[in-house]
Amino acid sequence: MVTHLRPANLAELSEAVREGPQRLLIAGAGTATGWGGTPTDVDAVLDTTGLDGVIDYQPADMTVAVRAGMPMADLQKVLAEHGQRVAFDAARIPLGATVGGLVATADGGPARHAYGTLRDMVIGITVVLADGTVARSGGRVIKNVAGYDLAKLFHGSLGTLGVIAEVVLRVYPLPQATRTVAVERPPDQGFDLAGQIVARSLEPAALEWYGGRLLARFEGTAEGVARRVAALQAATDAGWSEVDGAIWDEVADVALGAPGDTVFRCGTLPSRMPWLAGRLAELAGAAATVTSSVGVGVHTVRLRSGDPAVHAATLTTVRDEVAGTGGSTTAIRRPEDVPAWGPPPPAVALMRAVKQQLDPAGRLGPGRFAPWF
Amino acid sequence: MDPAEFVAVLGAENVLTDPTQLRTYECDGLTGYRVVPALVALPRTTDEVAATVRVCARRGIPFVARGAGTGLSGGALPVADGIVISLQRLRRIIEVDPVNRRAVVEPGVTNRDISRAAAPYGLYYAPDPSSQQVCTIGGNVAENSGGAHCLKYGFTVHHVLAAEVVLADGTVTTLGGDSPEHAGYDLLGAFIGSEGTLGVVTKVVVRLLPKPTTVSTMVADFGSVAAAGDTVTDIIGAGIVPAAIEMMDNLAIRAAEAAVHAGYTVDAAAALIVELDGPPDEVDSQFDQVLEICRRHGSTKLRIAADPAEREAIWRGRKAAFAAAGRISPNYFVQDGVVPRVRLAEVLGRIAELAAGAGIRVANVFHAGDGNLHPLVLYDEAKGEHDRAEKLSTAIAELCVELGGSLSGEHGIGADKACSMPVMFSEDDLATMKRLRAAFDPAGLCNPGKIFPTPRLCGERPGPFRPHPLEAAGLIERW
Repeated sequence: MVTHLRPANLAELSEAVREGPQRLLIAGAGTATGWGGTPTDVDAVLDTTGLDGVIDYQPADMTVAVRAGMPMADLQKVLAEHGQRVAFDAARIPLGATVGGLVATADGGPARHAYGTLRDMVIGITVVLADGTVARSGGRVIKNVAGYDLAKLFHGSLGTLGVIAEVVLRVYPLPQATRTVAVERPPDQGFDLAGQIVARSLEPAALEWYGGRLLARFEGTAEGVARRVAALQAATDAGWSEVDGAIWDEVADVALGAPGDTVFRCGTLPSRMPWLAGRLAELAGAAATVTSSVGVGVHTVRLRSGDPAVHAATLTTVRDEVAGTGGSTTAIRRPEDVPAWGPPPPAVALMRAVKQQLDPAGRLGPGRFAPWF
Repeated sequence: MDPAEFVAVLGAENVLTDPTQLRTYECDGLTGYRVVPALVALPRTTDEVAATVRVCARRGIPFVARGAGTGLSGGALPVADGIVISLQRLRRIIEVDPVNRRAVVEPGVTNRDISRAAAPYGLYYAPDPSSQQVCTIGGNVAENSGGAHCLKYGFTVHHVLAAEVVLADGTVTTLGGDSPEHAGYDLLGAFIGSEGTLGVVTKVVVRLLPKPTTVSTMVADFGSVAAAGDTVTDIIGAGIVPAAIEMMDNLAIRAAEAAVHAGYTVDAAAALIVELDGPPDEVDSQFDQVLEICRRHGSTKLRIAADPAEREAIWRGRKAAFAAAGRISPNYFVQDGVVPRVRLAEVLGRIAELAAGAGIRVANVFHAGDGNLHPLVLYDEAKGEHDRAEKLSTAIAELCVELGGSLSGEHGIGADKACSMPVMFSEDDLATMKRLRAAFDPAGLCNPGKIFPTPRLCGERPGPFRPHPLEAAGLIERW
């Protein structure tokens, strides 16, 4: 029988981990349960949603410290009252995803083009290890090189190294205006056009190839955004047209998927985008949708419900080929019989060693990184 | 130590044992700490680095990797019974890929040479530590180096996509990958800034950025440090993210002006250098906004760089401020603590009080946009001021922690500030970091004695700051 632990503060969290049953599954809002391997033989769910709320917000410093169970959407509301935001737009945020869960999954959205992911914005972290140890790294200042940066280690750890309890984030001004323009382009031309935009230093906030179109989102002052859109038209002569901001909800839907879908995210050299788009069309045809942060080489793929065998073959084939050229793939939704992870990265032995050091008894998130460790 | 095994893997010409030659490696930019290593290895390839480290692993010999030796925290301080592995001979730029905007380089390549190689494609490497003429990318990875422009562009960790590293047992692995998306723990992120304690980097894949189309730079003088500090707060509060905001107080202005004649106002109490870059229209309108904010805070003089040459001159003055301290004081210590930006005025007041109490002058020159101070504690060794100055220097770093900041914004902890780490971190924090270290280097051979306090280290007393030989020769500058 699986117990449910829901600590309300850091001390309770430390105690719950230390005194709790053997194998713990750490859960936030439950918006990413399909990420990575399926947890096995779990004795208790450690629910972080009781660790909610802002700890300290200094608008003039543009930093905010929060408890990790706080939904990112709630945090954005608090920040917006002061004209600020976390420059981060992962698809799960409207579903209630927590700050800690978003760090643990290394999730990201189209804003990764300009701002990266939470990895690039977390300036301090408090974690609870499997033995109940409470450890902090970083701090409350943007610039800080004192000690190792444990936040990096926990980014993408999928609840296998410890519980993220508190997070300090760098925040940015909320832009006055946002505009998105789009132009139809096949993958190879889309990639080339994206390169031209980047080279012109027009500083788009997002640059996404999706649904046969290149989307460019600009953020800033109303006047500045209008001028950059005009400059984009003039410089690329591509026939851009203004599109409604709702297009980004469609982009988010690719990452969210639906029951029966297969969803995965690949990182490759940016120039591999046309190859990936072509390969998906060959393997899965119209069932495949890809949205690609074309400037940085991060592609999110959705295979709509259909033949699970086609899904399985597409995922494993693409994953192997991506790995073969130095890329990486994370499964977000997958058919049950497909292993969660493909060929391991070169540093997998080091990941095992880190896991061994921080959670020697293998209590946390058992099975998440199977078959790697 | 018997050099034979090292000679066997590197050849005699790549192993230094002569005491005079070894002395060249006795310190980095923190020249008050000196230890002559037993041997210096000069590998030329990743394989040779790995073979050298394997000898160390087999024999239990500690090793310290070293780039250009410009670090300011003793991160490359040798270990007496150990060896130094110099990466200076791994200096190839392997590839510049303009399509994917990245470069693959060896660790001994200088920061500036990456931008130079990228320039024909309209690209550059963003982090710009002021020693960038000579400091190497390998050292930048070890220290997570920043620079004047990291407020907008971030640090080394934001600009490195992958690194090939030799681990403490001599195995070679790759951290990171082709994109920022890589499954599993972000070991690359943990490695960057680990000050050489987790392994030796032998290849680095860096991101390149397009050069901004417009850059605008100004110097704004103020009648008080507080007014300059409030100006910084209001600029950031207006939602502007400048490429750089630097502040100098009067002592620093005078030192810099005496050194390079940058055209600073020598009787100004404080000066800000503000630089904006990006799309032209927005830079122009935000620049006007910044000018207006400066005026509102009573700026006594606004100087706008008319052309790239004048901008260069303004920055030359700023970058010289640090070394120029030698013109107004025979000896000095340098700190690089960080405070939350809103506490700038407060920390400067407290530093002034501490300085007055100690009877020691402190010049302030710093990255105001991110609260990263660089107080220069000026003293005269000959007058027996060393101990008081050293105590003041440590007190300033620890004051930054008290105000919610950090011991170091970019110089690193190294050997210099290891003993202050318990002020910032609990025993459990440090023990957890050591567990990470143990995963990478169970035997503790990789740059031991750095970052973490040890009784031996913390019982010893550092010497005074002395100019680095390269600095004295005018080859490097820094702050």
